[in-house]
Amino acid sequence: MADKGKGDVLQGTLDMLVLKSLQLGPMHGWGITERLEVGSERVLQVGQGSLYPALYRLERQGYIASEWGLTGNNRQARYYKLTSAGRKRLAEERATWARMSRAVDLVLQMGDG
Amino acid sequence: MRAPLRDIAWRLAGLFRRGRMERRLDDEMRFHLEMLAERYTNAGLPLAEARRRALAEFGGTERFKDAARDEYRSRLVDELGQDVRYAARVLRHNPGFTMAAALTFALGIGASTAVFSVVNSVLLRSLPYTDPDRLVVVWERHAGRGVERNVVAVDNFEAWRERSRSFAGMAGLVPLPATIAGAPNPERVIGAEVSPGYFKLLGVRPALGREFSAEEESGGGANVLVLSDAFWRSHFGADSSVLGRTLPIDGRAHTIVGVMPPTFEPPRFFWLSEQVFWRPFGPTESNRSWGRFLLVVARLEDGATIEAARREMAAVTDGLAREKSSNHGWSASVTTLESEITGEVRSPLLVLLGCVGLLLLMAIANVTNLTLALTRRRAHELAVRRAIGATSWRLVRQLVTQSAVVGALGGIIGAAVAVASVRGLIVLLPPEIPRADAIRVDGAVLTFMVIAAAGASLVVGLVSALRALPAGVATTLGETSGRSARRLRGGSLVTAEIALGLVLTVLAGLMVRTFVALRAVDVGFETDRVVAARVGLSGPRYSSPDARSAFFAGLLEQLRTTPGVQAAGLISTRPFGGAGPATTVADADARTVGDSLTADVRFADGEVFQALRIPLLAGGLFGARDRPDGSPRVVINEILARTLWPGGNPIGRRLRLEMFNGITPEVIGVVGDVHLRDVRTPPRPTAYLADATFPSEVRDLIVRGRGDVPALVATVRATVRGLDATVPVYETEALEMVIGRALARDRFTTMLLGGFALVALLLAGVGIYGVFAADVAERRKEIGIRVALGAPARGVVQLVMRRAANRALTGVAAGAIAALLAARGMKSMLFGVESTDPTSFLGVAVLLLLVAFVATLVPAVRASRVSPLVALRTD
Repeated sequence: MADKGKGDVLQGTLDMLVLKSLQLGPMHGWGITERLEVGSERVLQVGQGSLYPALYRLERQGYIASEWGLTGNNRQARYYKLTSAGRKRLAEERATWARMSRAVDLVLQMGDG
Repeated sequence: MRAPLRDIAWRLAGLFRRGRMERRLDDEMRFHLEMLAERYTNAGLPLAEARRRALAEFGGTERFKDAARDEYRSRLVDELGQDVRYAARVLRHNPGFTMAAALTFALGIGASTAVFSVVNSVLLRSLPYTDPDRLVVVWERHAGRGVERNVVAVDNFEAWRERSRSFAGMAGLVPLPATIAGAPNPERVIGAEVSPGYFKLLGVRPALGREFSAEEESGGGANVLVLSDAFWRSHFGADSSVLGRTLPIDGRAHTIVGVMPPTFEPPRFFWLSEQVFWRPFGPTESNRSWGRFLLVVARLEDGATIEAARREMAAVTDGLAREKSSNHGWSASVTTLESEITGEVRSPLLVLLGCVGLLLLMAIANVTNLTLALTRRRAHELAVRRAIGATSWRLVRQLVTQSAVVGALGGIIGAAVAVASVRGLIVLLPPEIPRADAIRVDGAVLTFMVIAAAGASLVVGLVSALRALPAGVATTLGETSGRSARRLRGGSLVTAEIALGLVLTVLAGLMVRTFVALRAVDVGFETDRVVAARVGLSGPRYSSPDARSAFFAGLLEQLRTTPGVQAAGLISTRPFGGAGPATTVADADARTVGDSLTADVRFADGEVFQALRIPLLAGGLFGARDRPDGSPRVVINEILARTLWPGGNPIGRRLRLEMFNGITPEVIGVVGDVHLRDVRTPPRPTAYLADATFPSEVRDLIVRGRGDVPALVATVRATVRGLDATVPVYETEALEMVIGRALARDRFTTMLLGGFALVALLLAGVGIYGVFAADVAERRKEIGIRVALGAPARGVVQLVMRRAANRALTGVAAGAIAALLAARGMKSMLFGVESTDPTSFLGVAVLLLLVAFVATLVPAVRASRVSPLVALRTD
C-alpha cells in the first residue's frame, strides 16, 4: 500500500542514498537520516515513513544486513551494514544515476550554448 | 535466483515470527523517537516538550508501522488467514451443508484413494528386481492353433539359450510341490526348480550364502537348496548357521546353500505361485521327453530391444522347426515379465480405478451443487460485501478457500475411509492378485489423496464462484425472489450426474450379467458333496511304482467300503486345480497327418468319473486290466472324439500321443466335456490315461459322499493316516469352494462395481433432489401466481417434472454414448454378454430415469402445495 501513489522517482534514489550512507560504515536508522541530512547540507530530508520501509525492503532483498548493537551513549539500536550484494548494487545505481543526470543535464543545456 | 528465495524466506520469517518483527519495529521506532527528542532537549527544550515535538514530527506511528510491516510480510498470506477464518465461520453457521459436503467429499476421495492404493502396489510400483523392464518371458507359440503363450520343451529351451544373442541370460523354471519329511507331521510345500543363474538374472542376491553355480545344473540339478526368508524363519528360527545343514525334500537330502532376503518377491505368474524354496533345474534325458512344461525368463542384452529379440527368436525357432518334426508349426513369443505378473488383473483394476474416478466426479458435482445453493442463500451478503469494495478476485478466493476447507475436512475423513476400505479390499481381494501383500497406504497413495482433495476443492470453488458471482451487485441487491421463468440453476449438474451415474451403473450391470452367466456355466462335473484332497507319497518306501499303486489301491478300497462314501477315485490334477500336461495327439492309424492337435492329458482311474459325475457317453472306463505292465488305454472326451473321428466310432481306435516319446493307446471310452482350467475357458480336447498304468507319487483324491462335507474330509484324513501316518494330505477342500475361488476375481469386480453403482445412484438422486428443491424454493412466488391464477396442482407438478425430464433425457443420451465407449474398454472382462448389451443399457436407462423421477417428485409435490398467498407477499 505504501509503495503506491508516492513519488516513485524518489524511491529508487532513496535506496541508493541509503546504500551510499552505509558505505561509510554500519549505522542505525537515526544515524542514516543524520548522515543524509549532513551530507546533503540539509537539502535532503528523509522521512521516517520512507526510511524504515526502505531499510526493511533492502534487507529483504539482501543488499543490507542488520543486527543489534550499542550506540556511543550505550543505547540499544539496530545497526545496518552493507552486504557485498549491496556494494555491487550501489555501484550499479551510481552508474545509472551518472548516466541519467548527464542525460538530463544535456537536455537542459540544449540551446543554452 | 537466490534473491527471490531469500525474499520468500524473509516474508515467511515475518509471518511466523510476527511477534519478533513487531517488537523490532517498536524498538527501532522508540529509539528513533528518543533520538529526535534528544535533538530538541539538546537545543534547550524541556523534556516533555521535546517528546511532544518528536512525536509530531515523526507523524502517525501506526501509519509508519503499517508501511514498514508491508515490507516484511505478504499481504496475500495475511488475507489467506482472514479467508480461512471467514470460511470456518460460514461453515460453522451452516452445519448441515458442511456435514453433507464433507461426507460426500470423504466418500469420493476415500473410495478412489483405496482403489488407487491397490492399483499402485499391484500395477504401478515397479517390480523389485534390477532393471525390471529388461526382464522378459519367452514362450513357445503355435499360431496355427491360436496358442500365443505356451510353456517350453526342455530341448528347445537349451537350443534357444545356445543360439540367441539378444539375451544376457535365460533361465528355465518349473514349480516343484514337495514333501518335507519330518516328525510328527510331514509337510507339503511348494518351491521351484530354477536354472542356476536365475537369481543373478533377476538382479537379486541371497541374504545368506550363495545362489546355484553353473556346475549344479548337471544331472538334473544338484541336491542343494536356497530357502525363502519366511521358510528360514519359520523352520530354522532365522538361525544364520543354517548353511550346510540338510533338509529332506521328497526323501532326498538337500544341502542348504543360501537364504533369500525378506524383500525378495519371487515372480508369480502362469503356474508359478508362492515359493518357499528353490533347487537347481537341469536338463536330463528324462525331462527332455516330458514335452512342454518349462517357464522361461530372460534378461534382454544391453541395447537389445524386445522387438529385436522377437525377430531373432523367430529366426531361431524357424531353424528348430525345420530340424525337428515335433517343432512343426511352433515359433516363439516374447512378453515382458511385468505384463505376465500383472497382465490378468490389469484391466479389471484399471476399470475399477476409472469407475471410482467417475464416482469422485459425481461427488465433486454434488458438492458444487451444495456450495452453489449455499452461495445463493448468501447472495445478498456477497453483494453487500462487493458494494463496499471487495473485489471479485477476493470473493473468488474466499469461495475457493471455503471449498478448500471443506476439501480438507473431507480429505481427513476420506483418509480414514481409505485406510478402512484398504483393509476391507485386501480381505475381499481374489487370492491370485499378484503382490497383494504389498498393498498399503504409502507416500504415493497419500500424494494421490492430497491431489484428489485439492483438485476437487479447486474445481468446486472455481465452478461455484464463477456461477454464483457474475450476478451483478445491483441486480442482487435489488433482487426479490420474484424472478419468473428463468433458466434452471444447476441444470447441467443434473445432466452430468445422470450421465455419470448411467456409465457406472451400465458397467456394473454388464459385470453382474457376466457373473450370472459365469455362475450358469455347466462345467461338466458336479461339485456338491465332493471333497478333493492331494495325497503325496515320498521316500524310499514308495520308490517303486508297485508300492505307489499298492498304496493308492488300498486307500481307495478302504474308502469305498466306508459308510457315507459313494465313490472315490484318483486324478492327476483336479478340475480347476491348475494347469496340467498337454501333448500333441493324432489318430494313430491315419495315413496323412492333418493339422496337429493339442490335448490336455490327465491320469485317472475309472471311478473318478463317477465321483465327479462326468457322464460316460460310449464304451467303458479303466478297470483291472490297466496295470503298470499293461498296454496303455485311453478315455477321451467328446470334443477329441468328434475332432479326430467325426461321425465314426472311436472305441477300439488308437490315439497317438507325443508324450513319453510317442505312445498309441487304445480308445476304450468317451466321456463328457469338462472345464478343466476355469469357468471361462471352454472345454478342450482331453485324453485320460489310466493312472494304474502310469503310477505317480502325487494324486488328487476325489471322494463323493452322501452326508455333509466336513465329516467326509475327516473320513478322508483318518483313512490316509490309518494306512500310513507319514503320508501328507493337503489342499483338502470341498469342490464347491474350488468353483467359488475360480470366480473370486469376477466376484470381486462385480461386488465393487455394484457398490460403486449403488453409491452413484444415491449421489445422483441426492444431487437431483438438491437442484430441484432449490429451484422450487426460489420459484415459490412464480408458482404462487400460477396457483392464484387457477393452475391445477397437476399442472404445477408437471411444470417441475418437465424441466427434470428434459435434463434427465439429455443425461441418459450423453451417458449412454459414454457408457458404450467405456464398456468397450472392459470387453475382455465380459462373459456371455456383449459390451453393447441392450438389456443392460435399457434397464439402466429406465433405472436412472426412475431415480430422477423420484428425486424430483418430492420438490414437485411440494411446489403444488404452494399457497397462492405467497404471490401477494413480499420478502
